[in-house]
Amino acid sequence: MKYEIEGSPDYGLLRVTLEAPGEQVVAESGAMVAMDSQVEIQTSARGGFLSAAKRKILGGESIFQNTFIAKAAGQNVWLAPAPEGDLRAMALARGETFFLQSGAYVAHLGAELKLDTKWGGVKGFFSGVGLFLLKVEGPGTVFFGGYGALHPVVVGPEGYTADTGHIVAFSSGLDYSLRSFGGMKGLFLSGEGLIADFGGHGTIYLQTRDPRLLADFLHPFRPVSSSNNS
Amino acid sequence: MQFELNYRPSHSLATAHLEPGETLRAEASAMVSMTRNLEVHTSFRGRPGAGFIQSLKRGFLGGESFFTNTFTAVSGKGHVSLAPKLCGDMIVHELTSSHELFIQGSGYVAAPDSVELDTRWQGFKGFLSGESLFFLRALGHGPVLVNAFGALETIDLDGELILDTGHLVAFTTGLEYEITKASDGWIDSFLSGEGFVLRIWGRGRLYVQSRNPAEYGKVLGRNLPARQQ
Amino acid sequence: MHHTIEHGPAFAWLRIQLAQGDSIRAEAGAMVMRTPNVHMETHLNAGYRPGIFRVIWAFFVALLRKLLGGETMFLNDFSTTGASGEVVLAPSLAGSIVHKRLQPGQRLFVQAGGYLASTGSLDTKVRFGGLRTLLGGEGLVLLECSGEGDLFVNAYGGITPIEVRGSLTVDTGHIVAFDGTLDFKVGSVGGMKSLFLSGEGLVCRFFGQGTVYIQSRNVTSLASWISPMLPG
Repeated sequence: MKYEIEGSPDYGLLRVTLEAPGEQVVAESGAMVAMDSQVEIQTSARGGFLSAAKRKILGGESIFQNTFIAKAAGQNVWLAPAPEGDLRAMALARGETFFLQSGAYVAHLGAELKLDTKWGGVKGFFSGVGLFLLKVEGPGTVFFGGYGALHPVVVGPEGYTADTGHIVAFSSGLDYSLRSFGGMKGLFLSGEGLIADFGGHGTIYLQTRDPRLLADFLHPFRPVSSSNNS
Repeated sequence: MQFELNYRPSHSLATAHLEPGETLRAEASAMVSMTRNLEVHTSFRGRPGAGFIQSLKRGFLGGESFFTNTFTAVSGKGHVSLAPKLCGDMIVHELTSSHELFIQGSGYVAAPDSVELDTRWQGFKGFLSGESLFFLRALGHGPVLVNAFGALETIDLDGELILDTGHLVAFTTGLEYEITKASDGWIDSFLSGEGFVLRIWGRGRLYVQSRNPAEYGKVLGRNLPARQQ
Repeated sequence: MHHTIEHGPAFAWLRIQLAQGDSIRAEAGAMVMRTPNVHMETHLNAGYRPGIFRVIWAFFVALLRKLLGGETMFLNDFSTTGASGEVVLAPSLAGSIVHKRLQPGQRLFVQAGGYLASTGSLDTKVRFGGLRTLLGGEGLVLLECSGEGDLFVNAYGGITPIEVRGSLTVDTGHIVAFDGTLDFKVGSVGGMKSLFLSGEGLVCRFFGQGTVYIQSRNVTSLASWISPMLPG
């Protein structure tokens, strides 16, 4: 099995080549762009139906994930995240953990990789959506995407501050606290502006664009509902 | 003050490196991340004395933020990373006192105190076309961080050009302009999908963006769930 | 005529240098800028040298296309009166532009929103990718391009050409264009269960020899990703 990311950082596109029959890749539902014909898709609820449904309601994640299994040698599957932006691979050793904003997950390789949802704090770590963080534990490789480029920042002893709308992922070893920013960060139609002060030691991945600002920009262009009461 | 630009042109990120005591003013929504030694103040944007109503009006008309954040490095050097609302490039325009810069409402990101932003300049009356052409007038000296939707093309014009209104980012003094029909006839101008265009002539610098935000919004917007009136 | 595709891949635009007598046809609304000696003429999207019945038919097709695919009904022709002029064209969405030179007898199918501009005797006809695509709400409306000339196609995201080796499955939302030599069939990835649960919607299966151009982003996926963040 091998993979290649092309179009980075403008529009990351992942190509996984399943070299032998039986090899597989698991992906977020809706991520498939194209595939060779000797690939079978199995749809299942991630982590069991009930916990998946809970995450759907609370975290905005999709319930289902698709497993692509090769029926012949040399089969390709192309996968892409939804937003206009980059895609990165994170290889994790056994027991190594990594945290993802729940909507950033695209796909993973490795049958032993564990995906676990974790409470992200009462205030909502990622305003608007995703009260949950996805805790990813190796061994395996996880692919994650974001809106814009994915900008790594190494946090040292002096700490670092980031807008929550820009945080996509971070490594273990970091702690954070949330606060509102400068009184008012701006008037979001769709959420409150919160920032996170990081301490500890590790790497944060920031997306260089904020999806809430895109949502605010697109709002006036939506069709208008014809229903007049409520 | 040093600006560092990364991930150009699609997803550009600007990092302003501040020396101790240096100050940068930025659009309220632009902050991505920063070092922890920065002091931040939020205020209504514009010159001291620019009132709430004026800020509100400009916010609605120009697609801008209502607020400005002021970042000051208080102990040692620091940095703040900034990004515009939509995907696209950014550029640092070095403003000199001999040439003012007129920036389309959502094109401005940040500037130091040595740059004054005139919020009262009305700009074009572009309401007929449905595209707001609200401009900020930047005067003084120093770097001005400007953003584009899409790639950004710098044109040093000496002559004349016809430009779609939705693609203009900024221009310097020395250029004159008028809003005109896209074709000779009214019906053709309407059907052509171009509506109104800008005829620009003279000698000066012009920044053009490779996408029109309103066209992009229309294509994506019709695929979104309906909103309540 | 000379063309350059600049600022690619993410936010590409098309710059055309026109000599006297040259002309280029473009999707309405695509003009970014032009020199003052370039003239623009607007007409109904009815194909190359249409007869009167074709014009009437084209009006209904154009109307239908506008309703289904959100396309414009009109095209603009740009030509120059001076010795040389220049026009710059760009699509609405973010993404790449590809150039294809079509020879007589060659056909290329282009997803309806993918047409940016063309030259020469190049003709476009509307083809529907089957009734099921309309029912699926993902309207695979295709333009069949034939004739001789240059064709400029735009995409949402990057464009990747894939050579079909026997057969290939592509999500309908990621198709940009494909060679007329390929056979295709629209369906779901698995049975009915997968249509509703897998989230993959409708796919197009290609058979034979030829190239499929895919785009790395999909408007439907973008819409479902951003929807939870929209204010009520």
